[in-house]
Amino acid sequence: MTNPAHEDLVELLRRFMDEPAARAAHEDIQTGERLLETHPAPAPDARRVTAIKTQMAVVALRRHRTVRLVRGSLAAAAAVIVLALIGLLGPRSTDRPRLSYAAIIPTAIWDSHDLTADDLDLAYFSAEIGRIEAQMQALDAGDSESGSGAPDEFENELMAIQTDFWKG
Amino acid sequence: MGRSVELARIIDGCKSGDADSFAQVVDMYSGRCYGYFYRLTGDRDLSDELLSELFIRLVEKIGSYKGGAFESWLFKIASNIFHDHLRGKQRRKKLLEARRGQLELEPDLNEPRFSDEGEERLDKLQTHLNRLDADTRDLILLRFYSELSFKEIAELRSEPIGTALSKLHRGLKKLRELMEG
Repeated sequence: MTNPAHEDLVELLRRFMDEPAARAAHEDIQTGERLLETHPAPAPDARRVTAIKTQMAVVALRRHRTVRLVRGSLAAAAAVIVLALIGLLGPRSTDRPRLSYAAIIPTAIWDSHDLTADDLDLAYFSAEIGRIEAQMQALDAGDSESGSGAPDEFENELMAIQTDFWKG
Repeated sequence: MGRSVELARIIDGCKSGDADSFAQVVDMYSGRCYGYFYRLTGDRDLSDELLSELFIRLVEKIGSYKGGAFESWLFKIASNIFHDHLRGKQRRKKLLEARRGQLELEPDLNEPRFSDEGEERLDKLQTHLNRLDADTRDLILLRFYSELSFKEIAELRSEPIGTALSKLHRGLKKLRELMEG
């Protein structure tokens, strides 16, 4: 082997010693390396080299599969993370157009503890029903205040009121 | 230039997990790497093991190769594998010593290990290489088998270029003297 790296060994040696010493050192190095050239090491056994190649192919294949598996898992994990981030960092509920809700039942009625008192319509009809019931009871008790046809008249009136009530 | 383009293509193939590209790397470097291991250990079986480990590690680590001299990257791994082996052997030796006391003597770590002493004989160069200190021997063999420049060798070993030059010069000079003596 004579300087395969194509470096100027004498020039390199001259950085550390004078010219004659550099040339002598260069000569020593060349002679020493020539000894290694003239005494070559044995070559590896051909069967061993073939076995190494086979072993390398197996390891490479196994690694390739592992890498693919890991990449697949990472891609799935990344997708989950991205979806989670979109959920967390996407448009907030405050950014969305707001919906308005209207109550069907008035707040006063909703909050009331005595509906018959707080709902004017209901209070009116309840009072009417109460009055008519009182009159009916009076007539049934024999009071002749309203004549013989009075109960039928009151019943008709009561039915009319109830009908009006359910019509709203 | 053509060789480096071809090498870059092969390395790209390796990074894609292509078995043919890995096989090409083995064809290109198995001889030099095996020589490096053999001259460090003097043992063919052990060199086979280390060579297998090197190329398996290459498959595992090729993704971390980011350019630069491929030989530098490869021989850095080779050097680490050898030193890991030495450390492991040192640990095993300590364990054995603790169990056996002074009954059995393990061979010197820096001496070559024989798989079959009857069949395997060391050449003269190997014998004399083993007389050098471990660090100098490693430097000489790294330089010879990796074919890297001194600048690259110094970077690989994390030492100043002047130190690497000086050690190599002294080591090769001593090796020549031993061979001639």
